[in-house]
Amino acid sequence: MREYAAATGVRGDASEAEGGPLVAPPAFAACFTVGRGEAMFSDPELGAHPNLVHGSQEYEFHRPIRVGDAVVCTPRIADIKTKGGMEFLTLEIACADAATDDPVVTSRGTIIFFAQGE
Amino acid sequence: MPRFEDTNIGDQIPVQTETLDQARLIVYAGASGDFNPLHWQEDFAAQVSPTGGIIAHGMLNMGIVSRVVTDWAGGPENVLKLSCNFRAPCPVGAAVSFGGEVLALDENEHTATLAVWAELEDGAKVVDRRASRAVVRLT
Repeated sequence: MREYAAATGVRGDASEAEGGPLVAPPAFAACFTVGRGEAMFSDPELGAHPNLVHGSQEYEFHRPIRVGDAVVCTPRIADIKTKGGMEFLTLEIACADAATDDPVVTSRGTIIFFAQGE
Repeated sequence: MPRFEDTNIGDQIPVQTETLDQARLIVYAGASGDFNPLHWQEDFAAQVSPTGGIIAHGMLNMGIVSRVVTDWAGGPENVLKLSCNFRAPCPVGAAVSFGGEVLALDENEHTATLAVWAELEDGAKVVDRRASRAVVRLT
């Protein structure tokens, strides 16, 4: 989380000064959801390839994310469509508290795949 | 954190401008785990990039949007929703300006909905304000 804060220019956190566990920057959710894209690339039937760009990303926070949290992330394909030779894949990832199963954050991201050269 | 009573539709988040050079993209790749070579390898980028060159991670731009909104909101716990529509590619080395504007206020929830954005010097919309939003809890 400190590396992420440095990379995005975040300076300090009031929760740290108060001695509580650090609250994550909101978009830090990228690091445990879309960050590595393992789920997308680990499914051979999906046919994901690296000729892609990130079209859009949305996070809905059900509670703050803190240092020490354990979350279980469950990805699902929310939508796939083809338009003008490009394929649009929308992944929804529900992240829940590992101990209580309460929702923490919901991620919805659309990845645009360009046509692969033969 | 802005008070609900003192917040008005049309209020602006102070604009912050940053240059996203190659070192910054590499630091972000390491922090986020997104090692797509589009963000650091020229040969690969030449084949697949919409600009023909290396471009910044959309999520690095979203991370800076997140920071700018968090600063305005008085802390990350006050940011309830954040969405970014990545429109124009952001070439490595570009100076990017980040900002936001209050679009709506909810009296029952004491929240503000903001349009958020990231733009290049030529006005290209890296994060397009027309489809990028933050929902912030106010006191």
